[in-house]
Amino acid sequence: MNLVVRLKQLNEIKYLSQLGIDVFCFDTRYTAKKINEFDIEAIKLAKKQVSELNKKIYVLINKMIHELDLVDLENYLNDLKKIKIDGIIINDLTVYVIAKKLRMENLIIYQPGTFNTDTYSKNYFSNKNILGITLSRELTLEEIKKISEEISTLDLSLIIHGYLDMFYSKRKLISRYLEYKKITGKKLVNNYDLRLNEEIRPNDYYPILEDEFGTHIFRSKKLISIDEITDLKQTINTFFIERIFMSDQEYFDAVKLYTNKLNKSEFLDKYKDYDSGFYYRRTEKVKGESNEN
Amino acid sequence: MKTELLAPAGNLEKAKIALLYGADAVYVGGVSFSLRARASNFTVPLLKELVEFAHKLNKKVYVTTNIVFHDEDAVGLDEYLIELDKMKVDAIICSSFLIIERAKQITNLEIHLSTQFSVTNHALADYFYDEGIKRVVLARELSINEIREVAKHTKTDLEIFIHGGMCVSYSGRCTLSNYMVTRDANRGGCAHSCRWLYNLYHNDDLISDNYDFQMSSKDLEITEYIPKLLDIGVSSLKIEGRMKSIHYIATVVLAYRMLIDDYYNNKLKDLNYYKNEIKKAENRLTSIGFLAGNTSINEQLYNYRSESPTKEFIGIVLAYLPEKKLALIEQRNYFEINDSIEVVSPNKTFNYTKVNTLLDEDMNEISVARHPLQRLYINVEFFVKPYDLIRRVK
Repeated sequence: MNLVVRLKQLNEIKYLSQLGIDVFCFDTRYTAKKINEFDIEAIKLAKKQVSELNKKIYVLINKMIHELDLVDLENYLNDLKKIKIDGIIINDLTVYVIAKKLRMENLIIYQPGTFNTDTYSKNYFSNKNILGITLSRELTLEEIKKISEEISTLDLSLIIHGYLDMFYSKRKLISRYLEYKKITGKKLVNNYDLRLNEEIRPNDYYPILEDEFGTHIFRSKKLISIDEITDLKQTINTFFIERIFMSDQEYFDAVKLYTNKLNKSEFLDKYKDYDSGFYYRRTEKVKGESNEN
Repeated sequence: MKTELLAPAGNLEKAKIALLYGADAVYVGGVSFSLRARASNFTVPLLKELVEFAHKLNKKVYVTTNIVFHDEDAVGLDEYLIELDKMKVDAIICSSFLIIERAKQITNLEIHLSTQFSVTNHALADYFYDEGIKRVVLARELSINEIREVAKHTKTDLEIFIHGGMCVSYSGRCTLSNYMVTRDANRGGCAHSCRWLYNLYHNDDLISDNYDFQMSSKDLEITEYIPKLLDIGVSSLKIEGRMKSIHYIATVVLAYRMLIDDYYNNKLKDLNYYKNEIKKAENRLTSIGFLAGNTSINEQLYNYRSESPTKEFIGIVLAYLPEKKLALIEQRNYFEINDSIEVVSPNKTFNYTKVNTLLDEDMNEISVARHPLQRLYINVEFFVKPYDLIRRVK
């Protein structure tokens, strides 16, 4: 089992390694909803340190790739190739296409959020010489088990903990709202303390973040998978622990939870607002209006 | 090649109307595998009838099979794809690798990639071309300059949304509805949670007033960009709205048909002419989306203020009795004797008259038409044909 953490500071590597972490994920200039951006030089430095500990480095490239990003992205991937990082987590399949051109598609982990929902998609990517895919977040435990039971060459992964995002718009929805309301003097862009509350759901507060790439909305409750992890480990190899909107202490304790250094009740006594996501919640397929084709 | 005008249709009548009023192709969802399954009654026999109708007019039918599949959804897929292939559907619109690959393996169907996949650049478009996909529906987040660049470099045919409602997120990148009300946004269950009303908090400080934080996008309407898109030479211009009425479909299709034809024939009128035609059927607040680049405050909807259509749809012509100068119509909305009416035809003519005679089906005189789908006779001095639409002029 590989546990992947999101890194905020280089000096966390040692501590997290001691806790039992195998993979460190670095935010880049192509990371939306970033924790902390690292430049190529910092990643290079970290690679050395992490390799000595016999651990791995992934980078996160999760913005949508527009036409004008293509040239720069190719250069950037070339730089990453030179550093010999161990994996590139992507949201937009375009990154795979460019990586393939550079013969580095074997580093790609396809994590599009909503598309890896069936066994066939897994089989499709098994034939593409990529490192792995992350199953979608809206699957039930039963569906996850079914998709993952058939052995494949891919490294299958799952996000098991933390605030999961559920909406990515290119629109700057906070900025436009402030403009509409003529509110000035508030720094609400790149602000990690904003939440939405819906009229008829008074107890649910959904974190919302506007960054340079658009607006992101997250689930009101953090996902916790400690009850499911033993089961999941049977067929899935890699697990991501999300960090956004979490204090360092809570994050490190979450890592301890999955490395058996803290038990569930201790953890849940200290930290609130957790649920089991879609593991036991089936979604309905009917109802709809216009908008999509 | 001439750019295609592509229209939505929720049922057979709407599809026929769209084709008669100037669409070069229609897209429809079947009763399964489509994000708008609820908007459709297209069983296989009805699809067949539509394909025959369209092909006789030398027009096309695309079938949307665009849900993001879970394993349980694949039941019956092969049989369905084979049926579509047999009836010579002109393409399927998909976003799932499962359906793309199955269609390639067991049919000769042309495959289009849905906007659900949010393709935003030529590299990804070309990847799909190499995977056997003929046409890509681009993401709605592209500016006209980006569309031009993609078109310049890509091998695929491109389809561009030009009119109608749209997701405020990158399409397919949203599970708000899944999480908030357990309705799967990518399997036809979208509850439009992005259009609900919210309060915005900074820590515990309320920033908004009385749930006035809104994310809704205004509908798309890009009449002013149509000439540029025609110059770029995109393959298809797409109107959204499989849930819309026949009056909406006919009116919007006809307006864009006139705009496109007038541009090709070097006879473009003032754009307000086409915009006003569209307003006759629906008068929602509209915007240009991302066409000019990043969206501004003008593209967002911050209250529910929406004007009524300028013209009200009151009936559709079923037949004409020239000797009596009477039109047999099917009532769609309330109207009265002495109302002024406009008759709009697929051949782009608009005629005006007044309801002087109003008779029920048994030729009894009445003064008000209040029953939906009631068959009525009204006097019309000029010749009208089946599928002509009648609007009340306010």
